[in-house]
Amino acid sequence: MKILQMTDITKRFFGVTVLDKVSFDVEEGEVHALLGENGAGKSTLMNILGGVHQRDGGTVEFCGKQMDSITVKSADEAGIAFVHQELNVINDLTVYENLFLNKEILGKFRHLNKREMIRQSQELFNRLGVDINPTDMVGSLDTSRKQLLEIAKALHAEAKLFILDEPTTALNTEEIEHLFGIVRRLRGEGKSFIFISHKMPEIFEIADRYTILRNGSFISSGRIADITPEEVTRQMVGEGYVNQEVYEARKLGEPILELEGLTGKGFHDVTLSVHKGEVLGFTGLKGAGSSELMQAVFGAIPFTAGKLKVWGKPVASGTIHKAMKDKVAMLAANRKENSVIPDMTLLENTYCAEHTLSGRHPHIHVKREVAKYNKLKQMLNIKAESHEDLIVSLSGGNQQKVILARWLNTEAEILLLDNPTQGIDVGAKTEIYKLIQELAKAGKTVIVNTLEIPEIQKVADRCVVFYHGGVQAVLERSEITEERVMLLATNASAIRAEQGQEV
Amino acid sequence: MKEKNKAAALVKSIWHKYNFILIFLAILVVFLIINHGATTMTTLMNIPRHSTVIGIIALGMGLIILTGDIDLSVGSQLALVGGLTVMVFNNTNNIALSFLFAVFMGVILGLINGVLIGLVKMPAFIVTLATMLMYRSIAQTVMNSNNWTIYQLDAGLSQWQPLWVIGNQSVFQIPILVLILVVVVAIMTYLSTSTKFGKRVYALGSNERAAQLSGINVSMTRVLVFVIAGVLMGIASFLYVANVGSVDPATSGKNYELYSIAGVVIGGISMSGGRGRILGVVFGSMSFTIIDKIITALGLNPLINDTIKGAILLLAIAVQMLPAITQKLRKARTA
Repeated sequence: MKILQMTDITKRFFGVTVLDKVSFDVEEGEVHALLGENGAGKSTLMNILGGVHQRDGGTVEFCGKQMDSITVKSADEAGIAFVHQELNVINDLTVYENLFLNKEILGKFRHLNKREMIRQSQELFNRLGVDINPTDMVGSLDTSRKQLLEIAKALHAEAKLFILDEPTTALNTEEIEHLFGIVRRLRGEGKSFIFISHKMPEIFEIADRYTILRNGSFISSGRIADITPEEVTRQMVGEGYVNQEVYEARKLGEPILELEGLTGKGFHDVTLSVHKGEVLGFTGLKGAGSSELMQAVFGAIPFTAGKLKVWGKPVASGTIHKAMKDKVAMLAANRKENSVIPDMTLLENTYCAEHTLSGRHPHIHVKREVAKYNKLKQMLNIKAESHEDLIVSLSGGNQQKVILARWLNTEAEILLLDNPTQGIDVGAKTEIYKLIQELAKAGKTVIVNTLEIPEIQKVADRCVVFYHGGVQAVLERSEITEERVMLLATNASAIRAEQGQEV
Repeated sequence: MKEKNKAAALVKSIWHKYNFILIFLAILVVFLIINHGATTMTTLMNIPRHSTVIGIIALGMGLIILTGDIDLSVGSQLALVGGLTVMVFNNTNNIALSFLFAVFMGVILGLINGVLIGLVKMPAFIVTLATMLMYRSIAQTVMNSNNWTIYQLDAGLSQWQPLWVIGNQSVFQIPILVLILVVVVAIMTYLSTSTKFGKRVYALGSNERAAQLSGINVSMTRVLVFVIAGVLMGIASFLYVANVGSVDPATSGKNYELYSIAGVVIGGISMSGGRGRILGVVFGSMSFTIIDKIITALGLNPLINDTIKGAILLLAIAVQMLPAITQKLRKARTA
């Protein structure tokens, strides 16, 4: 029996169609994997089901009832529990207080019946086989227990359908097994799950059926037993991607950046050698460690073991300022939080990094700075009127170019670009690829960390694929295909190896 | 049409940048009307003269607030630094030495706040609340243990007269205190607008994470800001002693933290940091001084003083937030 039937769901944001007549159904008592690349429309579809977004077209039928307009509250009441990727628990309250937040059990005098709430919490945890003490502070729990608490919260609401959005990101192998045990038990009780994950081994372990989305469209649906990880990947990625050629082969120089067994929080045992003038792509799933590795090379976070050599000289786990003196620059991910200084002008934003290197001469020569800024503005094709305009008055793409100008202004030779095309339009993206090529031609070394494989195909000489904090593979340019990278990034190749052994 | 828009944009940007001067002028006009014929050069000069000590303290406060922090201890610092400076002068009969001591003490007190806030990373509100309690109490304890009831300059010393001149005399009708204020304001304005350090302060207050990832040593910048505020504190304490001739730990500098914060805010610096002009702080402080004078001129009960100051503060903030408020209303209407 079908518990959920979504038919011809259409959703547009600002005139852009993000879901185009997508149909999706879930049987009672099954785990259904919802698959697709970033931006395929999975989250939008689930947000429509959970009442976060309103659909522009299509129908939703849940437990045999039509749901006309869904709100977060009505979805909750109907028995749909959305376990978000980000943890929505409150650290400064206890476990049971979180569980009963806004649903507190009251006693005779409208006071909180704490004893009853604690008892019910304990009962729930016993049923789930989770060892959490209801009176512990949530802040003292580790991430995996918080994740389990989040799931318990959904269970407590007596939901019939659970949406698990990448629930294993924060869990280790053992904890994932535990979670899957709970999921299996509940499935036996007739509960249904929508499971969103990028990790192939997990999908093939836990899911009964799958639905694949690509670019906002329905691609296929079927039983997991009838498909292979390779086929899933192929369908997620799609074929016939036209590669606009910006790449030019260049002669590379001596090794400029060498990592030997570099280990730190989020990455381990990374050994790499990057040559002068090379463009290197980093990729992996969210949390695979490539971003953390970049930050460690830049000195923004420490590394705990291994060696880091820049220009052939060993560098201690150090500070950002030291890395900058070694001519290393990092364009950080999440532009708004990590890069943009909102109260400052374009000129000031372009110069704030350079000023720390030239701090010995404290006076600012405005004319000189404006001249240099204008040069950078022309080179990067920044569309802006006056250098006195605030950076926040520009579009995302132009803001990113200003941040890039900030780092080119430091005369850096090694540029670490962490997700440089995040949240910018297609035109600006192409410009940034071209620029990366030009910089490399001029002898700069560029490392680009991105989840989007076509970007790497456009510019990189080599591609490093990360999985769970380690280097999964280093691919030469000719070997970089979306399918190959996805197989490595999701560790799908590991399943194939296992299956091969069993045969 | 386009011309009109341009003109409107220009007016808007001038209002945005210099509304502290307009607020100051508005209050000044009210004062002149109330005073009508009685206004002389001396009454006019008394406005910056009586704003010198609090103005210099507020300049340091402005720098601190630009980084997003706060300093509640300035009033107590004035009592402690001022009191000890009186002791140094009485024992040495040396103006230069007393001045250097005041600045040195200011640096030490600023360094204590700065290290706890910048390096140990304690919240500024708590740290300066604690030092506020401590410094005034230390000033009182030292005084008490010497069996004094007040820190009083020894008028019998040969250098007492020159010190009094610094604090109370004028050159070409311009009080020496005002000349010193102008110099300090000029230096602080230069520091905040035309040096790399100044930009660092703004960057830190605007987006600390981005500032750090740009290579700015966030901790050291914080420490340095508190040390500079300490230097200003030392200068202000010395001038207070020269002007008044004594320090009473029970009353000297009382509420100065509140008045200086108010001056900073009326001067147009955002409490969340990163936005505003150091020059505005002086006008903000002078605005408050005029309010004192208006109350005196009207012969009102001095106890009503803080009520009026508080009301003016609210009014000034409302005026500054006018563009944001109208924008919100417009948005609500279109939505």
